[in-house]
Parts: sequence; structure tokens; C-alpha cells
Amino acid sequence: MAAITPTGDSTGGKLRRTYIPVLDDILGGGMPAGTSLLFTAMPGVTSEVFGYQIIAERMRCDKEIGFIYTNTKTPVEIEHVFQKYGWDLRSFLDSNQGFFVDSISPMMGMPAIGKYVIDDFADSEATVKNAISDVAGGTAVIENIATLLDSIGFDQTLGLIGRLNEEARKNDVNIVYMFTRWNYKNILLEKLSDIVDCEVKLFSIEEKVIYRQVFAVTKSNWITPRTNKIFFEVLEPGGVRVFVPKLLVTGPYNAGKTAFTHAIAADTVSVDRQSYELFPTTVGLDIGHLDYNGFSADVFGTPGQERFDLLLEPLAREAIGAFIVIDSTKPDTFVRAKEMIRMCHTEAIPKVIVANKQDLSDALSPEAIKEKMALWEDVPIIPVSVVNKEGLNKALDTLFSLMYSV
Amino acid sequence: MIPKIGSGINGFDELTGGLPENTMTLVYGPPKTGKSIFCYQFLGQAMDDDDLCMYLMTDYNLAQLEQQMMAFDWFIHDYITNKRLYVIDTASGSIGAMQKETENMLISFPQNPTDIASKVIQQLQCVHQQAQRFRSVLDSATTLFAFNSPILIIRVLKAYTLRIKMAGGTGIITYTEGSAEPQIETMLKATADNIVYLGEDELVIEAMAGLKRTKASYQITDKGLVVW
Repeated sequence: MAAITPTGDSTGGKLRRTYIPVLDDILGGGMPAGTSLLFTAMPGVTSEVFGYQIIAERMRCDKEIGFIYTNTKTPVEIEHVFQKYGWDLRSFLDSNQGFFVDSISPMMGMPAIGKYVIDDFADSEATVKNAISDVAGGTAVIENIATLLDSIGFDQTLGLIGRLNEEARKNDVNIVYMFTRWNYKNILLEKLSDIVDCEVKLFSIEEKVIYRQVFAVTKSNWITPRTNKIFFEVLEPGGVRVFVPKLLVTGPYNAGKTAFTHAIAADTVSVDRQSYELFPTTVGLDIGHLDYNGFSADVFGTPGQERFDLLLEPLAREAIGAFIVIDSTKPDTFVRAKEMIRMCHTEAIPKVIVANKQDLSDALSPEAIKEKMALWEDVPIIPVSVVNKEGLNKALDTLFSLMYSV
Repeated sequence: MIPKIGSGINGFDELTGGLPENTMTLVYGPPKTGKSIFCYQFLGQAMDDDDLCMYLMTDYNLAQLEQQMMAFDWFIHDYITNKRLYVIDTASGSIGAMQKETENMLISFPQNPTDIASKVIQQLQCVHQQAQRFRSVLDSATTLFAFNSPILIIRVLKAYTLRIKMAGGTGIITYTEGSAEPQIETMLKATADNIVYLGEDELVIEAMAGLKRTKASYQITDKGLVVW
């Protein structure tokens, strides 16, 4: 597949962000102007939000113009959906920054809302082309290809998409197609994939009862995509978040694991936290959920004392990232920290050492800690003061970039 | 032995032994022959057996379901408040009534199968975490056909049936005869495991594992459908 060099585009060849976390990194920064993106979703996977998030965030952050073509939801319903995710569509509509191409209301016998109205699918082409030239340099979201395929036929739909892509290319418009992949023949799916510049598949993974949603870039004309499967979940409000099924917080006794877990995941619940000893301590586990910068994660904090070592292995199982929290003023506990890294089997997964208690005067510097710990590999050591809420974002950014670095 | 579950319909289980577990049954026929009542009784039996039930309704909302069942002296209020019933209501969605969703009552739209599917999955997760077996009702496919390209709905029903069965469910889909092309009806029948025809005055088991084609008489009474 020949690489597309973004030419004649008003953004000066800059890639335009999709605002889907991690997706932009995989795509090298975003989409070149005039290119098309197809979201192919397995039935049951939350998919509409991807298209909406792109257009909502672009309108909000980049002051872009755009439109939504809909044949499955009425404009009123779409407005409700935007509201649910916390995006203000109304003000964009009022300021003419965005508009609808309404291809559903007439078929529902409802009054049409939108700049353009389509009452027969077969007449879609001219109308949508007009809409595209209206949003030159902007974004078009087309929902849903499945309805077109089964209404006007496969060849007609493929032809239409080809010509819309052409129009979008001429106008530097990014065109985003939403497609629910019911049981269509593979040959059709391949043809559809062939006529777009980029395809992202949305599907699910089931393990017993747990159901997880995943996206993967399977095609891109401007970059060789990594084929990693990225777990995601959809928050209301919030939108698409890259989902980290399990983040582990471990470290020696009294290093501040629970405080750290509470600091990064506000709703953390501490199980059986009691004052058995001089200091309150975690005797069960801490569980929380964090939502940070496009990532959401379930956070599991372990207890630190040796008598709870039995719990470490099951708690750590299936973790895909870890924070090792240490007390920077207690170098004698560093051996224990290393031991816990081993017991949690976190040698092989991305991890960050949280050098806590940097607010204390006798705290060691990251360099000194590195020397004293004598780790067998290069693990980032981030100076943190949980009580002063310092270094928390750095710790999170560092771990997420280790986990999802391109 | 094919494991079967009670249909809740007087005389039906004597005739058939019940509905084969973990299969999908298409109940179809002309209008006003008691297809929805069939669903109510199936739901009533779920309540008696303390089975969970997923109920996708296209022509009435939850309050109306409760009312209609009350007319037969079936009371599902506790069953609803105990969260044994999971509802997807596309009827409210179609008239633009924005009802508030709850954990076991979701709103969707008849013209948006993508949304319906994602809500089915959402509820399946809840249901499957509580039980290995459950019941499901889709009343009625007719409305979905009316709002969408029929072939698209065949795909949707295939995906729906597959999902319900994979999760351990035993389900019913209703359909009004003649509301789609004969070719579509043939495809619809092919997506179901069992086919029950409700005619003007006869009930025909057109297909069911382990059974020959069977005919019986039935009547709609104040106790629901009665088959003999």
C-alpha cells in the first residue's frame, strides 16, 4: 500500500488528532488531512462513541468544523448521547460549527432536523458531497455503513464510499465511517477495508464471564501500524478510555502504598484496614479505579508485611503494570522492595519505582536510590511526595508510556 | 434426553415436554393470536422458577408489560424490583420519550440495531455473572423489520440468537406473519431452533428437536393461552 503524503492541506502536513487515547500514538500523531478512517465494530461493542469523540474533541480543542451523517439515530438522540459523555453539541450546532445530515427522521416519520435531509438513501451522494465541501478542512462522521449496505446494496455502497472519499480528499476532510459488522461475507469486508485509508477494528474478548472491549489498528496507509490490541472502556461522562485491567501497587510495609493508591484512584476502598499496630495498615488489599489522561485502570494495592506474602502472588496475577512504592528515607527496606518485585512476578512487566516521602529531609535522591537498590534493569525511579501530591502525574505518565510506547 | 424448561403455557408442556433448553424459539402467526401472551406466560414461568429473564420489548414499555400481565393475574412487580428481570425498551425510544435508564431497564431505539446489540451485551454480562442459565424474550421482531432493512434485521437476529445461546439462555422471538417478504420469513425461520405457529385457532409445532410436526387447539382465556 502506497504511503499517502498529506499534500495541499491547510494544516501544513500536520497530522490531525483523533483524540482517542493511544490511537493517535499508533497512527503517528493522528490522521493526514483528506484521509478516511473506518471503524469496524463487532455487534455488541460500544462503537458510536469513537466517531462522536473524534468530532466532539476536534470541535472543542481545534475549533474544527464538521458534520454527522446519521441513518440510525435521530439528531435529538445524538444530542442526548453527546450529553451523556459530557460533550456539548448544542453550542457547536448553534454556532454552525457542526451540523447534521439527517437521513433517519424522514424514515421515522419525524420532522427532520439538520442542515441537510435525505429521505431516500439512493439520493445520499449529492447531499453528502455538498456537506463535505461545506466542512473543508474539517471532519465528517458517517453512521452507519451497515444500514447503507443492506438498503442500497453492496456495490452501490462501496461505490458511494469511494466517491465520498474522493470528495473528502479534495476538501481536506477527514471522513470517519462507523460500521457494525454483522454477518457480512469476508470478501465484502475486505473490499470495504481496501477503499479506506485506515481501519480500526473494535471487538471483544471473553474470558468466562468477563467481557472486555478491544480496539486494534489493522490498516493504515500513512504508517505501519502496530497490531497491538488495546483494551478500552467507555466512561459516562468521559468517552473512550484505554483500559488497564490491572495495575499493581506494591512495596514494603509503611512505604505509603495505600496513600498512593488513594491519591491516584480517588474512590479506592481499603479492605480490612485496621490499627493492629502503631500505624494503620492494609491487611487485605486496596482496590480502586483511576481515570487519568485517557487511561482508566483498576488498581490493586498489596499489603507490605511479610506475613501477607501469600497474598502477593494471587493479587499480582494478570497485572500488566506495577508501581513499586518505597520509603525514600528507609534504604534498609529496599531489599524487601526487590524481594516483592520478585514475588509479584513483576520482573517482566512495565513498572515504575515510586520514591515516596520526598517531602522528608532525609529522603534519598532517585540517583542514590538507584545505586542502593542495584536493580538488574533500568527501572524509572520517580520522586514522589504523596502527602504533598507531588510527582503523582509523573509516575502515572511514566508507567503508561512504558506500557503503551510505540 | 433433551433438557427442557417449562413454557408456562397450560397444555403446551404436556404436548411438547416444554421448550428445549438453550435454544431459540420463533413464535409467529397472524396478528392478535396471542404471541405476546405467549411471552408473558414464558416470563411468568421464569418468575415461578426464579430464572432471570432478559426482555427486549419493541411495542410496550415496562409499566405496560406489568399492566398487561396483571390483566391475567400475573404480578411481576417484585420480580422487577428484585432485579430478576432485565429489560431493553425500544418502544419508549421510538417515540422519543427519554426515560431514565436503570441498571435493569435500558432504553434503545428500533432503528438502531447497533445500539440494541450493545445493550444486549451489557445486560448479558450482568445476567451471566449471576446465572449459568436464564430466559430471554424478544417481542417483537416485526417492529424491527418495520424500521430497518429486513436483511439487516436477519443479521441482527442471528447475532442476538448466537449471543443468548452462548451465554446459556433459552429464548423466544415473536414475529407477525406477513410483515416481511416470504424470502425474509424463510431466513427468519432458519435462525431459530424451534418454530411455533399460532394460527387463528390452532397451534402448530413446526419444528422442535425430538418432535414431529404437531398440531393442537388453543384458546386465549383469562388464564392466558390454553392448549389441548
